[in-house]
Amino acid sequence: MWESCTDIACGNIFALLNEGPLTLTIFLHTVIVLPMFFIYFQEKKRVNEEAR
Amino acid sequence: MLTNAHLKYESQKLGMNYFRVAIVLFGAQLLLGLVAAIQFMYPGFLFEVLDFSVARMVHINALVVWMLYAMIGSVYYMIPDETGEEVVGAGLGKLAFWVLTAAVTVVVLVYIFIQIGSGTEATIWLINEGREYIEAPRWADIGIVVVVLIFYWNVFATFMKGKRTGIMTVMVADLFALAGLYLAGMFFTDNISMDQYWWWWVIHLWVEATWEVFVGALAAYGLIKILGAKREIVEMWLWIEVLMLFGSGILGLGHHYFWIGTPEYWWEIGALFSALEPVPLVAMFVHVLYDWGKEQGHMEANAAEGEKAHAVNNTPAMAWIATNAFGNFLGAGIWGFFHTLPQVNIYTHGTQFTAAHGHLAFFGAYATILIGMMYLGVQGASGIKKMTMTFKTKMALFLIIFGLLGMTVALTIAGYEQVLVERADLGGGWDAYFTAQNLPWMVQAMGWRLAMGVVTFLGFVYLLWDLLTIGKAQAKEA
Amino acid sequence: MSKKNASVWTSIRFWRRSAAWVTGTATVLLIWLTFNTMGQISMGSDADLANGVKKRIPAPTVINYHIDYVMDQKRGHEVPVIGQKEPFFGKQWSAEEAAALLHHGKLTSQAKNCMNCHTLLGNGAYYAPDLTKAWLDPRWEDGTMAAITGKNSKEEAMAEFLMHPSQYPTHARMMPNLNITQDEAVALVAFLKHMSSIDTNGFPRNFSQNAKRLEGGTNAH
Repeated sequence: MWESCTDIACGNIFALLNEGPLTLTIFLHTVIVLPMFFIYFQEKKRVNEEAR
Repeated sequence: MLTNAHLKYESQKLGMNYFRVAIVLFGAQLLLGLVAAIQFMYPGFLFEVLDFSVARMVHINALVVWMLYAMIGSVYYMIPDETGEEVVGAGLGKLAFWVLTAAVTVVVLVYIFIQIGSGTEATIWLINEGREYIEAPRWADIGIVVVVLIFYWNVFATFMKGKRTGIMTVMVADLFALAGLYLAGMFFTDNISMDQYWWWWVIHLWVEATWEVFVGALAAYGLIKILGAKREIVEMWLWIEVLMLFGSGILGLGHHYFWIGTPEYWWEIGALFSALEPVPLVAMFVHVLYDWGKEQGHMEANAAEGEKAHAVNNTPAMAWIATNAFGNFLGAGIWGFFHTLPQVNIYTHGTQFTAAHGHLAFFGAYATILIGMMYLGVQGASGIKKMTMTFKTKMALFLIIFGLLGMTVALTIAGYEQVLVERADLGGGWDAYFTAQNLPWMVQAMGWRLAMGVVTFLGFVYLLWDLLTIGKAQAKEA
Repeated sequence: MSKKNASVWTSIRFWRRSAAWVTGTATVLLIWLTFNTMGQISMGSDADLANGVKKRIPAPTVINYHIDYVMDQKRGHEVPVIGQKEPFFGKQWSAEEAAALLHHGKLTSQAKNCMNCHTLLGNGAYYAPDLTKAWLDPRWEDGTMAAITGKNSKEEAMAEFLMHPSQYPTHARMMPNLNITQDEAVALVAFLKHMSSIDTNGFPRNFSQNAKRLEGGTNAH
């Protein structure tokens, strides 16, 4: 599962995240998609208030 | 195509000018493509007169430039419809058009007649930059930036003055990114890896991000204009498409950073973001067909007994937009996904496989919808209420689509052969390369590519003929 | 009446805000990644070479060293290996000389439009062989081309070929004469040698490993 970095430069965050199983991609996708949950709930509140 | 008789707005007349130059450059692209295809079969053809490098450079540059022309034309055409305003700087826009056209002419003539220079900065400034797709010399780069600034100011100022629709909002934001990215390709470095890193910012972030969003906005405008689709639904889809296209496309850039000297972590980023790139293309396809079916259904339900119902008021444009919806998914989505994973790409990188993908993707994703926009322009300029396909429209559609699919299949077979023989078996290098080039599969595939290129060109002749005549013919009937 | 529960999924505002968020975040991440990569792909220094410090893109003075491309078990693919010093066109080049030479070579590669027939690092046109590891190609390495061009060393043979390519055809598809001068040819060879020392994560894989099988007769005439 965890494979140690074999690249030339290993001390940076992306090389570290690249050691785990898909952890680099999961990290990037999460950072991108996570704010959408916040937006969803905020909009939900607004839409419900407007519908009242 | 040659008349502006029924256009009220200067902006739309200007748009038609851009369409006219675009179609001429499209022809030039196909002709030089044929020269290059012949050279694959008969290397002596025009050897040391118009070498493959020159033919190929003009082939791909004409491609990029005709598409940019047709894109600018489309935006000028849609501005009055979307904002309800005349473009603010029509005179300046016209001046910019003539300056750009003069510059493009000079650049092409220099490409063809001077071709190359000595290894000095002067060559980069005056003759060509020698960087695929953005070969235009530095003086032309700067000229392009100035012209695009004028264009952008026209779009932005008109947008601020008039109605601010969702489609126009996307357009204004997207054009800003599109124009800004060009700057990433305007410097020289001795470091070839650095060179390629920023080169891909221009190429990838154009064709796999900003151009795709541009197409989404055009399709949205087209659906409203042709089908009378409901704006709320179309614009909601557009935002979803923007989300998915930029969400996958921006970091999908990583699939170009596997082998150019960049760190290994790009393998995972490039693979898993670009694997998502086809998703929005499926969404766009579904969206177009959904709206088409829905509006047609409404029409039929509301039509009187025995009356024929047609939701589509411009069948040639609709046919090309539907081709775009599927072609984008097939050419950019499927053919792109074929070789996007690093495990496959280590063998396919730099083979005819890329050429197969390039041909179908540029056609499916961009050429199709821009041709559709030209038909919309002809309809407006000739004042036709309901434009319908002629025999020539159908011939153009059939021959161009058939020719492109044929070229793509031939190049894919050539690519497979090259990947397996040159790369996987022989491991690359000079001898491996020519061994693979000489095998019958490659030679036959190149023959079919040339034949299908001729078919495509015949289709182009029908297309040009149709665009020139359809307006007049149908305006008379009406 | 009970509290209304309206849907967010059909709200344009929700999708517009989400699109803006996603685009913005992806852009910021790309810029962050770019900064990280820039640090790794900037050229190394002459001192790095002398001290054996590995860099993805070595200093221009790498032309003073022997370059090899060998399988690395740990990384699972081939990597460039920079070995002992060797003369390049019969001499050692100082840091300034090597930098100027590489600059001239890169400029010439663009001025002569190499990329519209060949691929460099796999990018370009597919009408002629990939040049990423051209310096290490067995064609030059084994002395075939040196013999054909009548030169004593690999670099001299390459320079001679570049100046008069159609005099030494290796295939019906020939390289055209591009009016490359002696200086430009030397600079181009330096550019190619430098490119072969770039760590491309193992591209091209198994480079020319099976070329030996082709000895004594290939279809490539």
